[in-house]
Amino acid sequence: MTSYSKEVIADLVAGTLPWPQTRRIMSAYKDDDRFFKYVAVLQDRVGWKDPILLPVGDHLFICQSGDERVTKCECGHSFGDYRKNWKLKAAIIVRDSEESLREIYPNSDLPDPDWMEIREFICPECGTLHEVEAAAPGYPIVHDFEPDLEGLYRDWLGKPLVSSNKGG
Amino acid sequence: MLDKPASALRIRERLLESERLMEETGCYDGITELHLRNQDPLKFETLHTKLRAYCVSAREMARRISASPGVREVGEMVVAIYTPEGDAIALSNGIMVHVHTMSRFIKWMIRNGYEENPRIRDGDIFANNDAFIGTVQVPDVMDVVPIFHSGKLVGWAGAVCHELEAGGITPGGDVALAQERFTEGLFVCAEKVGENDELRRDYVIRCERNLRMPIYWVLDEKAKVASCIDMRESVKGLIDEIGLDYWMQVSKEFIEEGRRAQLARTRQLTVPGIYRGHTFYGHVTKGKPGYQPLGDPDWLYNMPIEMEITSDGKIIMDFEGTQPWGYHSMNCTPAGMDGGMFVTLTQHMNFEGLVNDGAWMATELKLPAGTWTNPDNEMVATATSWALLLPAYGVFQRLLSRSFIARGFVEEAFVGQVNSPMIEMGGQSQYGTPFGMAHFECAAAGSGALAIKDGLDTAYVGWNPESDMGNIEIWEQNMPMLYIGRSIVPNSGGAGKYRGGCSFLSTWLVSKTDHLRLVTSEHSSRVFDNGGLCGGYPAPTCQKHRAVRDSNIFELAENGAPLAHHTGTNPYRSELEVRLEGEHVTLEGPYITAPHKTGDVFTHSYNGGGGYGDVLERDPVKTAWDVENGFLTKEAAEGIFGIVLDEDEEGFPVANIEATKRHRADMRAKRLARARPVSEWIAKERERVKAADFAPEVKKMYASAIKLSPRFTRDFSTFWDVDAKSTFGVE
Repeated sequence: MTSYSKEVIADLVAGTLPWPQTRRIMSAYKDDDRFFKYVAVLQDRVGWKDPILLPVGDHLFICQSGDERVTKCECGHSFGDYRKNWKLKAAIIVRDSEESLREIYPNSDLPDPDWMEIREFICPECGTLHEVEAAAPGYPIVHDFEPDLEGLYRDWLGKPLVSSNKGG
Repeated sequence: MLDKPASALRIRERLLESERLMEETGCYDGITELHLRNQDPLKFETLHTKLRAYCVSAREMARRISASPGVREVGEMVVAIYTPEGDAIALSNGIMVHVHTMSRFIKWMIRNGYEENPRIRDGDIFANNDAFIGTVQVPDVMDVVPIFHSGKLVGWAGAVCHELEAGGITPGGDVALAQERFTEGLFVCAEKVGENDELRRDYVIRCERNLRMPIYWVLDEKAKVASCIDMRESVKGLIDEIGLDYWMQVSKEFIEEGRRAQLARTRQLTVPGIYRGHTFYGHVTKGKPGYQPLGDPDWLYNMPIEMEITSDGKIIMDFEGTQPWGYHSMNCTPAGMDGGMFVTLTQHMNFEGLVNDGAWMATELKLPAGTWTNPDNEMVATATSWALLLPAYGVFQRLLSRSFIARGFVEEAFVGQVNSPMIEMGGQSQYGTPFGMAHFECAAAGSGALAIKDGLDTAYVGWNPESDMGNIEIWEQNMPMLYIGRSIVPNSGGAGKYRGGCSFLSTWLVSKTDHLRLVTSEHSSRVFDNGGLCGGYPAPTCQKHRAVRDSNIFELAENGAPLAHHTGTNPYRSELEVRLEGEHVTLEGPYITAPHKTGDVFTHSYNGGGGYGDVLERDPVKTAWDVENGFLTKEAAEGIFGIVLDEDEEGFPVANIEATKRHRADMRAKRLARARPVSEWIAKERERVKAADFAPEVKKMYASAIKLSPRFTRDFSTFWDVDAKSTFGVE
């Protein structure tokens, strides 16, 4: 069975693993023990103790925080119950003018701000840009991901989660 | 008679039985146990590898027969081997989107009684390019031949080439101006075009009389037939070795194994749950010549996608909430939607094991009737359905990628494919003859970023994983234009910790012709149709066309003065305007205009991919390399990524790490100061929504989605706490 050390997974996640080695991992049979090593790598990275249950973005994690399961930024900021859309608790910058779009697209033709805007969802504590939506004005904010957390641990990972009173 | 299926049943009854067995057992053709695989796994794998080798070899041979640079250079071809019921067992590389569309074509013939009339016999050749029967668009012409052994139908061999000229209202294959089926070009609707391994002369004559450049289509037909015969004979030889009964059983087990492997891979690589995303397409044709006033000239489409991964590993994609079909060429049939799903899966998840129709059987598409994904009117045009397919399946790639990131397989996360405009042409060639051609260098766009590295520069398209732009010299042999530039477009990848792959721009001098019609399609301006992921930005929107008529380029060349080789980095004044005199043209959207002639200069830009991650985390050293090599501008490095670059003694950019840290801290602080709570923004925006204070095209988009979709109506109403129907005047 294919398996890699935690150090290799850490380098892979950080984007620092040399390309030939990365390429071999991409071409090889997948390692079935990846998930828990990956979570361990991420747990080492964050500065807090709440156990990570599922990464949902580059710096965004569902974790067990006391009795609750919440979505947390890597900096420790909590966006609340993981079943709710974390974006609704984020800070936002909306680029809906030529001037503000030009800051990101200095050398190209721009979309029409009457047809399209950019929404940047930001951690209100550390300022990390977690997600960008490009949407027509008035388009509801999308709830990107509603994982079946219990199902994943129970049916696919074979390690059922201890039930939580709040947040799933 | 050589027209008996290997089963005692007629083939139509056999197809129905196979579907019934799948329905009853959940397994392909009722194959609940993989007996042959379990008996001798090595033999099982070896046989499938052989079949795959037959396919790859037949395709490579056939490419040498073709006259089309699209097939020869860029590889716009795929071949596959099917069961008698029309399910793919093995396939080649190439435009794999068509493996499943061909399956639909074969099944369509079976369902429609082809066994009785026009009959299915050894040596017959059937062709199709009707998307409602089974293809994506008119230029995707497919040929299939039945495989008989011992007098029984034991399978099919099929091949598809994307034709560079289809004889539509505008030259090329992606017929931009088609607004109904009747202007898309030459249709071959599940037709018997040959017998005894030979194309019918009357069919070839029809092609020669109805196409601008028949040499491409006709020689591609011969290439496809040759590849089909090659595969057929190989399969017959294999059956001689292993026996007919073994073949009939093992070919089905291959597919069931493919289905099971797809489910297993989903359970291994992803996370069950609901994933959502969306993208948009903006079409601008107001005032352009040739468009009939059948629908709105300018329109905006939304493409919301909800993907469910079930606990047994099935992937279900639902397009509810998207827009109705329209009088344009961008509609797509369910066959095309299936094809999009298949080709995306083959790249993302079927990178090992038995790749075949089994993977497709482990998925489900929900395509609401009446939308562009499933038109309830078979007269609609689908000539440029890729315009909507590509952005839609780009969303699919991002949804899948989120699941890979969640599960830890970050190396497989890929922001995905992009829509990239195509240029086609016709008129009088440089040899003084009539011609028509789709230029296929668009098959080398920039890809979306990965979660661990930048996207591929000028090296990826969704429809053909074997991306290639073709050599300049080959293209120049086939069109009356000479390259005066083929350049990387700086900042054309979406910004992010890992940037999207960059695209390129071609600059041509029209040469040796007085009549060159240039037409572009799949040109979504006004919106972003290529998204980013996890904080990455979308790639820039489609760039406008810039051209110069009656330029003074020959005079400049004679004087040895500098020419314009690209449009430059100033969006308000291009290099063409700086360097060339003449009538300057800047045009948004599809390029539909009067013919060009010798001395004119034309530019066409392709698209880059979306970015991944927060821009403020981008590697400064890699960024210095990007600036040095023209992938990013210094202005972007500092303004977007917060990376301060100095120059070394030789003038090359080097990252100033300390200054970068300070600059980024400042940018982060400004970002936080500028941002406001989402709840505040929603409260303010709600007032705008209540007043429906939007551009007419945006209002129309909402009204159309609300009319078609109860779910969209409910979600919109709930999110904004408004009555969506009354807000947009929907009854």
